[in-house]
Amino acid sequence: MSPDTSYPEGSALKGQIVNRHRRGSAWQLAFQVSTIIGIIALIALLYNITNQAFGLVAIQNKVEPSSLVLAREEERLLSAANTVTSEDDNELVAGIASDATAIGFFGYAYYQQNSDQLKLLTVDGIAPTAENVANETYPLVRPLYLYTTADVLAQNQAANVFLNYYLTHVNEEIADVGYFATTDTQLSAARTAWITASGLDLQPGQWAAINPEGISGQLSVVGSSTLFPVNERIAERLATAGFAATVNLESVGSTAGLRAFCEEGTADIAAASRSITSAEFEACRENGRLPIEIQIGTDALAIVTSPENSFTTNVTPQELRTLFDTATTWADANEAWPASPVARYIPGADSGTLDFFAATVFPIDLADLPKDTLVELLAANISVGLGRRLEREQRFYDDRLVFDDPDLFAEACASDEPAAGCTMPARDQENVYELLLQEVVAPDVVSAWSLMDSLFARDEVETFVATEYPNAELTFRSWLTLDFITSPQSSTPEFAGVRTAIMGSLWVVAITVLVSFPIGVGAAIYLEEYASPSFINRTIQTNINNLAGVPSIIYGMLGLAIFVRTLEPLTSGALFGIGDGTTANGRTILSAGLTLGLLILPVIIIAAQEAIRAVPQSLRQAGMALGATKWQTIWAHVLPSALPGILTGTILAISRAIGETAPLVVVGASTLIFVDPDGPFAKFTTLPIQIYQWTARPQAEFRNIAAAAILVLLVLLLSLNASAILLRNRYARRA
Amino acid sequence: MQGELNMSSTVTGFANGNLAVEARNMHVFYGSFRAVKDVSLKIKTHAITAFIGPSGCGKSTVLRSFNRMNDLVATARVEGEILYHGNNIYSNDVDPVEIRRRIGMVFQKPNPFPKTIYENVAWGARINSYKGDMDELVENSLRQAALWNEVKDKLQESGYSLSGGQQQRLCIARTIAVKPDIILMDEPTSALDPVATLRIEELIQELKKNYTIIIVTHNMQQAARASDFTAFYNMDEDRAGYLVEYSGTNELFTNPKNELTEQYITGRFG
Repeated sequence: MSPDTSYPEGSALKGQIVNRHRRGSAWQLAFQVSTIIGIIALIALLYNITNQAFGLVAIQNKVEPSSLVLAREEERLLSAANTVTSEDDNELVAGIASDATAIGFFGYAYYQQNSDQLKLLTVDGIAPTAENVANETYPLVRPLYLYTTADVLAQNQAANVFLNYYLTHVNEEIADVGYFATTDTQLSAARTAWITASGLDLQPGQWAAINPEGISGQLSVVGSSTLFPVNERIAERLATAGFAATVNLESVGSTAGLRAFCEEGTADIAAASRSITSAEFEACRENGRLPIEIQIGTDALAIVTSPENSFTTNVTPQELRTLFDTATTWADANEAWPASPVARYIPGADSGTLDFFAATVFPIDLADLPKDTLVELLAANISVGLGRRLEREQRFYDDRLVFDDPDLFAEACASDEPAAGCTMPARDQENVYELLLQEVVAPDVVSAWSLMDSLFARDEVETFVATEYPNAELTFRSWLTLDFITSPQSSTPEFAGVRTAIMGSLWVVAITVLVSFPIGVGAAIYLEEYASPSFINRTIQTNINNLAGVPSIIYGMLGLAIFVRTLEPLTSGALFGIGDGTTANGRTILSAGLTLGLLILPVIIIAAQEAIRAVPQSLRQAGMALGATKWQTIWAHVLPSALPGILTGTILAISRAIGETAPLVVVGASTLIFVDPDGPFAKFTTLPIQIYQWTARPQAEFRNIAAAAILVLLVLLLSLNASAILLRNRYARRA
Repeated sequence: MQGELNMSSTVTGFANGNLAVEARNMHVFYGSFRAVKDVSLKIKTHAITAFIGPSGCGKSTVLRSFNRMNDLVATARVEGEILYHGNNIYSNDVDPVEIRRRIGMVFQKPNPFPKTIYENVAWGARINSYKGDMDELVENSLRQAALWNEVKDKLQESGYSLSGGQQQRLCIARTIAVKPDIILMDEPTSALDPVATLRIEELIQELKKNYTIIIVTHNMQQAARASDFTAFYNMDEDRAGYLVEYSGTNELFTNPKNELTEQYITGRFG
């Protein structure tokens, strides 16, 4: 018998089988690759969102909280009883020297010049020695700065040489004047900044080599009276070294100096006994004069008494506060001291020294101030118009008005729509503090970085902030916070939240489900259980299948035509006498819910049909065979068995509805809405709409909060799905 | 054809009081296809009548006609009469729901409801507005179905937790809970193992004291063992089923009148 050759045998068989396996493996690989591509896409999406939603931000206050209260504090110091005020430090020296009950303060230099007539007190046991000042253990120290710009350094050779000479020799002069030399580290940082900005090709070792001799030109150094003697000495030394340029030195105070430097542009170098403020920095930037900050020394305040004072050599900060504020006798500050009246000697109101003393010794936390003070500060810093608006939202006091005219306010309260402030109880201290922060201090995110940059390019970010926004605070910020979820929409990204949008989304989805689930399941039951296979029913079935594929924007147009326009009396609530028909015009949650309900209806019908069809026929027969009617069988057996499948389809459909944007834009979701929806007839916005609008804004921060809102949307979606899945599993287990 | 009708008259020998249900010149169509042709037979009360025949001979279709289960098939149509208590169950004024309450059915594959054992039995009674003690009814039904001892401690467990044979007995308990006159059984043991099959057969013997039973079976031994009367169906050249011979089971198996019957019971076709 000849062997059967119609099938391969032996090695041919083996090869053929290996081939078949190989083909299968190739397919498996292809499927694995598609799965991996899907996962990569998901990771990329999450990466992108997370990268935007978290990261470093530079926050800069429009007004520093300390400067808000500074004037008040100084006023208090100046008006305290038994206080001698003088702009002339020599007068203070003379006064203190001759009065055994006197206490006073001024720059350390004046103490140094008059140390034989005065007694220096330690603060908390620490004396203002060079070492204590350099490492800032002595509390009353302030840095001294020169400010210039890269342009000046590049264009004005005289200024360039002056500054170089200044930095090389300042430590030889400054101690003699009565200030403290900067540490090597600080000086080196100043030099680096100067070199980088000047654009000169210089190594640190070449500094001293620059010869000022014969350099001509012109430069002006304007500013602090504290620094003036140092500037003078440097200029004199330069002149003797043959520096031929005209150096114009002016002692007008730090504030005036910085104004001349930033706004007027008349100063090449500004001298300041304090750091530049954000407002000054912004003024500089606006005029194209980005300042370079160079610290050239440190000043300390000396707390002094007469040598005749025999009872103390030290004060604590608390004693200092009491002595210059409320104390009438020395004993008020410390019981061990005599009950003789305190005589206070302080520099005048125009002095930077007083500013510094007030800010350092009386640090004020706005949050701790009483409500009355906060209201006064608010009133001094905002416009009356804004004040009125705030007052109509909620009054500041129950018994009086701060901004508004009583008659106008009464009129507003008597109108058909009285302002909320008419009935609401007055704002509390915390509320006013928040207002002050938001309206006056106004912390502003001046720049934001992605998570990746924040983690891996932190140094660059820090350098950038140090040069561009020296007064800004660099902090790590999660844009997704509890505040973000619970705050309503705002036009300022820092204060904007998604509460309004979440509420809108939940309302719309609730209506959507209420409409589409019963109708969809009902239609599915009819089509599967009752409808005979007639031409009409087949046509309906085909159309439902096709509707599931219609672009969502079409549903939006349908919703606009039917729900918003034709059924306006119903959807605006006018028919029921509820809702505000004049503002919403049918562009309400109800319209949106009905539109999305129509959108997902085909999906639910098809899913429910599939689920009902999958219920075994034997179950229906079993029910019927017991004498049950058709409906009893469907209700008791078919629907419970089909429910998990129906719910799965519904979950998918709801997920789609939550993420839908286009039809809601057409139906008329509000672009900017601050009021939470309070019912089906309210205007609304939803999360996807909110995200869409934020991403379209020009300010970068809106993209950060859009990313945070996307995370909220994802979490909302996941939690809705999870609860639906739990519900489904409960039903599935019962079966 | 006429001759075969006469054959069926061999079991007309019981009194009218013992007549459970009767088919007269019944034809069943699925659309234009005639599935069953001209069947006439009388079923005796408190007896077991077996329907046998090769696959596709229409025995199940005939069975399902007795409680109008064929109505569930949209294209099915029945001509002729089925008389139950003297009324044609296919006349317009008869509600199939009532017929099915009187004439219950057990299916080929066990099909308990996806509910608890208790609820499986109680549901039919509840929808038919049973007024007595439900717990008692459930217990009695399960006892009659010889299942009580096995499930009395787990009445709240799912019906699906039982074995195949137990599930089928649960279906029987469910059927007798609504107190029917007649129980139709459509190959009730074909999906079961021999031990479970035997238990069901014993159960059917018990049930005949209270119920009239019509059973369709593929298994000739089962028909011979368990039934009092046997009807043999075959299909003609148009694939329409018809009744070949109907008589007492002993007589049909020992002394078949029709050559086809003899061929079938001796295993020469089918």
